[in-house]
Amino acid sequence: MSSTLVWTIVILAGLGLALALLLYLVAQKFKVWEDPRVEKVEAELPGANCGGCGYAGCHDFAVTSCAASDLSKHYCPVGGDPVMQKVAAILGYEVEKKAPMVAVLRCNGSCEVRPRTNTFQGAQSCRHKAWLYAGDTGCAFGCLGCGDCVQECKFGALSMDPVTGLPVVDESKCTACGACVKACPRQLIELRAKGPRGIREYVACRNTDRGPVARKACSNACIGCGLCLKACEHDAITVENNLAYIDFTKCKLCRKCEAACPTGAIHGVNFPKPLVK
Amino acid sequence: MAESYIVSGNPHWHSPVSTRRLMLDVIIALCPAVIVSFLYYGWGEILVMAESILFCVLLEWAITKFMLKKASTIGDLSAVVTGILLAMNLPCSIPWWIVLIGAVIAIGVAKMSFGGIGQNIFNPAITGRVFLLISFPAQMTTWPVPVGFISVPDGFTGATLLEQVKLLGAREADMLVNLQTLFANIGGSAGELSAIALLAGWLYLVIRKVIKPWITLTIFATVAGIAAIFHGINPELYTGALFNLAAGGLILGACFMATDYVTSPMTTWGGVVYGFGIGFIVMMIRYFGSYPEGMSFAILLMNMAVPLINRAFHQKKYGRK
Amino acid sequence: MKRITFSIGGVHPQDAKFAKDRPIEDLPLPKTLFVSMAQHLGAPAKPVVAVGDHVLTGQVIAEPGGFISAFVHSPATGTVKSIAPRADLAGRPVPHIEIEVDAEEQWAPGIDTTPDLITAIPEDRQMMLDRIKACGVVGLGGATFPTHVKLNPAPGSPAAEALLINGSECEPFLTSDYRLMLESPREIIVGAAIMQKILGGPRCYICIEDNKPEAIRVMRATLAELGYGNMVVQPLMKKYPQGGEKQLTQAVMRREVGSGALPISVGAVVQNVTTAFAVYEAVQKNKPLLTNILTITGDCLPVEAQHNYRFRIGMPFSYIVSYAGGIPEKAAKIVSGGPMMGRAIANLEASTVKGSSAILYLSESTTARWTETACIRCGRCSEACPMGLEPFLLNRLYKAGLTDELEKNAVQDCIECGCCLYSCPAGIPLLDNVRQAKLQVMGIMRARAAAAKAAAEAAAAKAAETPKQ
Repeated sequence: MSSTLVWTIVILAGLGLALALLLYLVAQKFKVWEDPRVEKVEAELPGANCGGCGYAGCHDFAVTSCAASDLSKHYCPVGGDPVMQKVAAILGYEVEKKAPMVAVLRCNGSCEVRPRTNTFQGAQSCRHKAWLYAGDTGCAFGCLGCGDCVQECKFGALSMDPVTGLPVVDESKCTACGACVKACPRQLIELRAKGPRGIREYVACRNTDRGPVARKACSNACIGCGLCLKACEHDAITVENNLAYIDFTKCKLCRKCEAACPTGAIHGVNFPKPLVK
Repeated sequence: MAESYIVSGNPHWHSPVSTRRLMLDVIIALCPAVIVSFLYYGWGEILVMAESILFCVLLEWAITKFMLKKASTIGDLSAVVTGILLAMNLPCSIPWWIVLIGAVIAIGVAKMSFGGIGQNIFNPAITGRVFLLISFPAQMTTWPVPVGFISVPDGFTGATLLEQVKLLGAREADMLVNLQTLFANIGGSAGELSAIALLAGWLYLVIRKVIKPWITLTIFATVAGIAAIFHGINPELYTGALFNLAAGGLILGACFMATDYVTSPMTTWGGVVYGFGIGFIVMMIRYFGSYPEGMSFAILLMNMAVPLINRAFHQKKYGRK
Repeated sequence: MKRITFSIGGVHPQDAKFAKDRPIEDLPLPKTLFVSMAQHLGAPAKPVVAVGDHVLTGQVIAEPGGFISAFVHSPATGTVKSIAPRADLAGRPVPHIEIEVDAEEQWAPGIDTTPDLITAIPEDRQMMLDRIKACGVVGLGGATFPTHVKLNPAPGSPAAEALLINGSECEPFLTSDYRLMLESPREIIVGAAIMQKILGGPRCYICIEDNKPEAIRVMRATLAELGYGNMVVQPLMKKYPQGGEKQLTQAVMRREVGSGALPISVGAVVQNVTTAFAVYEAVQKNKPLLTNILTITGDCLPVEAQHNYRFRIGMPFSYIVSYAGGIPEKAAKIVSGGPMMGRAIANLEASTVKGSSAILYLSESTTARWTETACIRCGRCSEACPMGLEPFLLNRLYKAGLTDELEKNAVQDCIECGCCLYSCPAGIPLLDNVRQAKLQVMGIMRARAAAAKAAAEAAAAKAAETPKQ
């Protein structure tokens, strides 16, 4: 009995050792040399593999950044400046500082201001809906409300608001990876500077129809009236194709445009005090 | 437009066949066999049937509502079908708590743990039956004395056709298959009782185009072929083709369990391979195994091969090789 | 004769040809017509008139905007009021020419407006092609592909062995082709003979499904009367989508057209009966394509209110709808075309185009999409797919974003016939997703082909440079 036990242990242990040795030899034989810095860079990266940097995941970012001669083509939007500083330190390169960005929805046509003109049925997919027709409201530019952006977000930063029918960005979770920007068939999501203490100003509309048409479809639409253009003292606003746009690099957050906007298409967020008109 | 008309992609209408309609057809197809077993065993059979359906439907409802937190799927009637099929595999003398265990295994383990209808690998009813057969062999193979409305062939009570092989030998057992036993077998569960009633139901499904006949026909052909060969070699040891077709759960399995959409291959040729596999395994178990019947095991084993079969057999594509 | 049909997939929806006994009526002209510049497959046409110009019926108002494009003619006599974007039936802006219609109609010179039948076919092939092009004839079976391009295959493609005149009208509800076959069989057959001649005399099959025995009888009798050679009426077993080019080619010739290829690659040219009629008018009468036939039908419209109308291109749908008595109360969806491949109308003010074939009213119970439930792997979608695809698989691959796998599983072969969604018992929006997958994969394939072409050109340029050094 005891000898059986001993033999069992001996054979199993021997087998284990032999196989371990085999695995070790194979691993040695097929070992691929990798820049030791790759591992260090990868350790600093967020590891979300979101592809926001333009590379196929964090590992690819690490490999290509180690092979590159500078960091001009590498920026991790998720990690932002702190991570890039560390990466630059490992590689011994300089890195340009960038303002933190956040995804912004350029549509404010909620259910109550943008009446439905027909009933959509079928696959709940913005891509399909955008292919099919101009949409179930009079606005051929606004949010389609099927949440393709929400599905694409790997950070849980987007959710559909059931009341407005529009996606909501959770600033604390948004990493500005840009996945939602690509997912939206109507190009309604823009990456904009997060602004000091999260304060920012933007035109939440992309409707380029003429004023009366746009207004009929949605009472919150930008009608291209140009009042904001006149109100702006910093030359930050342009109006093209009946649509205003605020350049966030020039905007001084004075809120004069917001006060001037007759439809409420210009949104100011995170301001400490409400706007006094 | 003033009113709100619907806009969608093409097509703009739909064939009337829905999942619920398909399941309803299966239920209708099972009715003849249920009626025969009612005539044979009386109200006990109906009681087991009711228990089984109730447990299956309640379990599915509870699991979708409280565990998966999804919209309930009991409206598609698939749980009812599982309940009927499970009951058809049980003796009508079985206590209610064994039925409940069977339902937990069928719905809870085999179906819902994979994500519900369409996701399961194994046929739920068979999984439930096999679990019970292994756990409660005595209760699962004790057949009550018929108390129903059909006269019982003299001298045979309490043993199924397949068990007669062990009792009487192959040659004697072969002699038992005649028109009467094809209508109402000499013993067994509802699903083993009446070959004719089951085949009528199967024919209904084929005519209604609910299922394709190929899987069932391949199983029959394989079973008959293998039985003919072995019987030809030694009729003392091996039962014949007709006996093997009529006996046990083969017809129920081949007509209703092997043809379950979810757990069977999609293509015709895939179905033929699958059917052959079932037929082969069931005959090997019957001739050489320790269990008298192997249909459930055969179907479960071939269920496992379905993803591979689906990968190997594809529809003929237009304009491509 | 042996009953034939295509062999892979297909479905058998209810026939629903309620309007089949309603003769074709001419619609009166409205006060204003809006003529779309995007009525055909390919580049939009470019307007050649200016606001304020007076135009005659049949006068060219826009010319082709590319190789695959077509002429557009004024469907009425009147004044050009505006040239501006206007919403099409999907609500998207498309350039339109607005024409205010005069009380008196005056045809442009050179157009034969008499009803006399001309059976003698011209000898000059190029002249016939030029006339078809100049008259803006496009395929009226649904795809609106310019007919002169199709009848003049690119050099190097095989010779046409069969001309298939498609009178199958496999879409339920539609009866416009059927009525045309009953009322103008001579013109259709002369048109077919013209196309036969242009193609170098292949055998011509006039393909009609056997749910239209009257059309088969009339076409056969007319063929015997006119006595053109090498032309037969070919009855087909009813099955949807018989009228698909690839399906019809396979049904009649027993040859399958390869992936991404045109029927001419196996020697077939498919043209609709209505196109044959338009070709007749273009070649024999020099009459541009200004009209088409449209069925007003639906499951919630009484048979008395159903019609087959000959409409002028550019009439708004709303005009035709109100002329025919308004929208039935029970209508939940209005479709331009048939229930399988038609397009839901989101904007009733949109104007009709060359390819409009029906206004279909469907009730809520018929048309509402089902609530999506889980796939039960019944395989009905793959059984129904006339291209032999596996829509359930494509749907799953699309949701997982596996474009390589989608391409391997031939998603690009999808003809968008709708059989998969029609037959899915779980109400899964298969076609909605498969179509997006197809568009995605085709985009990738095009980008790859363009990159390969650029690389080849760069290599060729390099090779040309090397010897000089």
